Amino acid sequence: MHLDPFELHRPVSIEEAVRLAQELAPGFDYLAGGTDLLPNYKMHLNLRPHLIALDQVPELQGHDLDRIGAMARLADLDSDREISTHYPGLAQAVHGVATPLVRASGTVGGNLLVETRCFFFNQSLFWRASLGYCLKADGDRCYVVPQKEKCYATFSGDLAPALEVLGAEVDLAGPDGNRRLPLEDLYNAEGDGIQRHHLRPGELVVAVQLPPDARRRRSAYLKLRPRPSFDFPELGVAVALERDGNSLAALEIAVGGLETYPRRFRSITDGFVGGSLSGDRIADLARAVQGAVRPVHNTAYPPDYRKRMTGVFVRRAVTSLWEGREAS
Amino acid sequence: MATTPERDLRLLGGSIPYIEGPLKVSGRAEYTDDLKRPGMLVGKLLRAPWAHARLVRVDTTKARAMPGVFAVLKGEKYPTPFGVLPITRDETAIAVDRSRYIGDIIAAVAAQDELTAERALAAVEVEIEPLPEYADPRVGRERVDAPIHEKGLNHSNLQKEVVQHFGDVDAAFRAAAATVRVRASFAGVTHAFTEPQCTIAEATPDGRLTVWSSTQVPHYLHRSLSEVLGMPMHRIRVVKPEVGGGFGGKSDPLPHEIACAALALETGRPVKILFDRDEVFYTNHGRHPTHNDVRIAADAEGHLLGYDIEALIEGGAWSSFGTVTTYYNGVMAMGPYRLPSFRYKGQRVFTNRPPSGAMRAHGGTNIRYSVEVGLDELAEKLQLDPFELRSRNALPPNSTTINEFRVTSTSFRKCLDVVRERSGWADKWRRLPYGQGVGLGCGFYISGSASPIHFTPKMPQCTVHLKADMDGGITVHSMQADIGQGSNTLLAAIVAEVIGVSLDRVHVSPVDSDITPVDIGSYSSRVTFMMGNAARKAAEGLRDRLIEATHQLTGYPREAIRVRHERYEVEHRPEVGATYLEALHQALEGTGALQSTGSYTSPPVGGSFKGARAGTAPAYSFAAYVAQVTVDDETGVYDVEKVWAAFDCGRPLNRLAVEGQIQGSIHMGLGQFMGESMDYRGTRLMNPSLLDYKIIMPHQMPEIECLLVGADDPEGPFGAKEAGEGPLVATLPAAANALYDAIGVRFYDLPVTPDRVLKGLDRRRAESRLWKGH
Repeated sequence: MHLDPFELHRPVSIEEAVRLAQELAPGFDYLAGGTDLLPNYKMHLNLRPHLIALDQVPELQGHDLDRIGAMARLADLDSDREISTHYPGLAQAVHGVATPLVRASGTVGGNLLVETRCFFFNQSLFWRASLGYCLKADGDRCYVVPQKEKCYATFSGDLAPALEVLGAEVDLAGPDGNRRLPLEDLYNAEGDGIQRHHLRPGELVVAVQLPPDARRRRSAYLKLRPRPSFDFPELGVAVALERDGNSLAALEIAVGGLETYPRRFRSITDGFVGGSLSGDRIADLARAVQGAVRPVHNTAYPPDYRKRMTGVFVRRAVTSLWEGREAS
Repeated sequence: MATTPERDLRLLGGSIPYIEGPLKVSGRAEYTDDLKRPGMLVGKLLRAPWAHARLVRVDTTKARAMPGVFAVLKGEKYPTPFGVLPITRDETAIAVDRSRYIGDIIAAVAAQDELTAERALAAVEVEIEPLPEYADPRVGRERVDAPIHEKGLNHSNLQKEVVQHFGDVDAAFRAAAATVRVRASFAGVTHAFTEPQCTIAEATPDGRLTVWSSTQVPHYLHRSLSEVLGMPMHRIRVVKPEVGGGFGGKSDPLPHEIACAALALETGRPVKILFDRDEVFYTNHGRHPTHNDVRIAADAEGHLLGYDIEALIEGGAWSSFGTVTTYYNGVMAMGPYRLPSFRYKGQRVFTNRPPSGAMRAHGGTNIRYSVEVGLDELAEKLQLDPFELRSRNALPPNSTTINEFRVTSTSFRKCLDVVRERSGWADKWRRLPYGQGVGLGCGFYISGSASPIHFTPKMPQCTVHLKADMDGGITVHSMQADIGQGSNTLLAAIVAEVIGVSLDRVHVSPVDSDITPVDIGSYSSRVTFMMGNAARKAAEGLRDRLIEATHQLTGYPREAIRVRHERYEVEHRPEVGATYLEALHQALEGTGALQSTGSYTSPPVGGSFKGARAGTAPAYSFAAYVAQVTVDDETGVYDVEKVWAAFDCGRPLNRLAVEGQIQGSIHMGLGQFMGESMDYRGTRLMNPSLLDYKIIMPHQMPEIECLLVGADDPEGPFGAKEAGEGPLVATLPAAANALYDAIGVRFYDLPVTPDRVLKGLDRRRAESRLWKGH
């Protein structure tokens, strides 16, 4: 499989990157670590003639406990003890991404915007031509839920759920200037595997901002996948909570790997905040979250199994965090 | 003269690092894709996107006219069918008239670069008429509208049917005190070797053709090239560079190898074809998707009375090794036990899917799973310890099975004793807490097929040549195919051992049909046994010349001269003798370089009924494994924590290699058990990539304790038998039986993924059947 020729641009500032994006629109992709985009290009998935590489842009680099640059490498977060001490859930999510080699190149911004996945999409050109192309690349129909309107490709990033439960925000830069959004608002909650986020044309993620109270939260990220390395999530459950004596002061749950975006469950979790948690209460919570998710059959494990595991993982994570133990 | 006494071995029996290891780990070993030839073109294959189609028109006019395109070939130019088994030649280099699965080759292009080649493929115009698609082997057994091959039996897709009956099975079941029945299904699995297939071919103006290829069977490739291309064998040279794993996936001559040679002939330029990973998956030739139905009868004391077995195996689009596989699914059920009656019906059915073929522990893996799980159930019914049941039925040394296999050495009983002891079975079985368990699985395998796949059966199965010259080095020539399993190292070590020289004096020549004498290839776990014996004979011939030279130098009788390290000396007068070099130089006087030849031919074994030769071997390996597992009963995720692997490979000649084979076999066996699966929707393979085909990761590997318990085999080289395939088969049932011990659930569908574990637990709970109080 070859990589079709493309023109590579290497801006040295956000300003230059955005200007290039305006000039080249819509024939470009931003290139971060390339660990997802370039294999997809080899499969001829939505090729663009231009790539704007972001590795030379200083404003996107670096990380600390308050701010994580979009081009921070996953391996750098993975080896940072401050991160694992204060944000254990984030550390679990980072460590769970792919393999050490992928984490050496892969970036935080890249993982937040990782392409949604589906076994009718992530296939070679030959394979897709053989079946007929799908909505998400070159075609007009969906093979997962047969119809012609909506794409069901699965959100497959690990970091977004783990960051959302910490209350993270994202800084964006684009032709219309800069803005800051709660991370969860970056994603399209209407549920569309193609229009999966709300980035405007030419806009890019600059950094993730973490609020001061994020450090007070106990957090965990539990990932389901066939193998304990390499694989994308079949389910990723992130939980953060604060306990005040015997009272649950805050509870956040985000679930990735099931639908087209990381799901939140405010209407469920709000009902638990302020009270105490018991085994029965936690089981109720887990059952409610499990009942709310709608996986489809487009990954390795069957959807009923992924749904059932959602309940198990929520219960395990919340129980451990409530009791002050590390969740696994 | 006397053979080398086994008790004095210097090298063999120890741990010998692979002689090519430094080259491999430093990236300097040359695989086919590392080779470049001047003016080399890129070859690419147009693959059928339809499962089953009649090719009405393949028009290459536009593709041929493109700049940078040197040749575009269709099937009609080289229509001669070939195949690894002479009796079932049904593959062609490029499809003629009809394509039979998604991925079948329908045209081949040679172009200046990859991009041009792909554009040329896109410019080939193909008009087809779709034919009915067959994905289900059960349907294909009956009469169908458009059989995939014309020679399918009774206008069906049935490729091969085997019926065997020994003893009286019906009487055995009537007399039985206990019977069990296991009906199991197995997803297809594939080899997933590291190195994708790669071939380079070059035709030169002197009328010769050279083919470099990543193959386990350079000799069969040589024959097939000759047959299909219509060139005499002596004008074709086949070279096998380093091979990055095969596991059976490179043990057929493959269509792309012949298509590549055809492109070279067509263009007069060297052509390279390197597969993408998805092409490796489509080429497959992996383990057959299988349904089997096994009934076992025993008396009240647990003595086996009979097996009654049916197997339905899915062949995919070609015959490949399928006739052998169909027999093996029966005969591999029998050992390591004594069995008074046996009935088997096996069917292999073509489908419009990638071809199945030979894969490590070929034909034995799936049937042994069902038998060994069945024996676990039988032991439970008879209230016997699973070890006791097996021990009561163990096949004794020097016996003949009911289907007339000759079994000479077996340390199976010792395998059972040692693994029971080392695993702490008595304290664990049925005694570990709920969610934890141990299980036993056993196996045996052929140590080289006694019946070579051969077109001239009077030739030996392996020949080894040695050359020693004044530099003191010894060059070994043999077409045995090292595919990473360590056969070059063993070849060098045997020669060094017998002649009494340092290992670094021995150089193993690359496989090259112009130079290396015929060996029929790396399959059926035949190399150690057959090449080892041939190498030993060749080395003894050379050694005798050096003894003769020492006799000339010292005047002492030949019988008194002993081989020591780098020295030939007189027994009882060690100060009298010659160094190896002195002896060698004496031997060279007046003759120049010494040569020596050794070969191996299997003794006649097996019965005379139809199919009697399938599964016959000069020796068999034996195995008894215990696996220990822990199960998370909420997620179905389980951990195979440890495997105790007692294995009888006779005398292990290179412990490092044998332990590596056991570890690799357990990895491959657990892969099939835990998650590997060729996932199809109809005729379409859903996971042709190493991301989606779930080979298990190092994190999932158990701790492994290798227990090498074999005694010397009377015919094996220095007492050795095989260790390449037999170590796989016991792995899967040991894990399954351990899961049963842990959670009280049997698994009959492989792979046993966590969602299936949960479903099994749900079923048990629905039956209100408690296990260990849960």
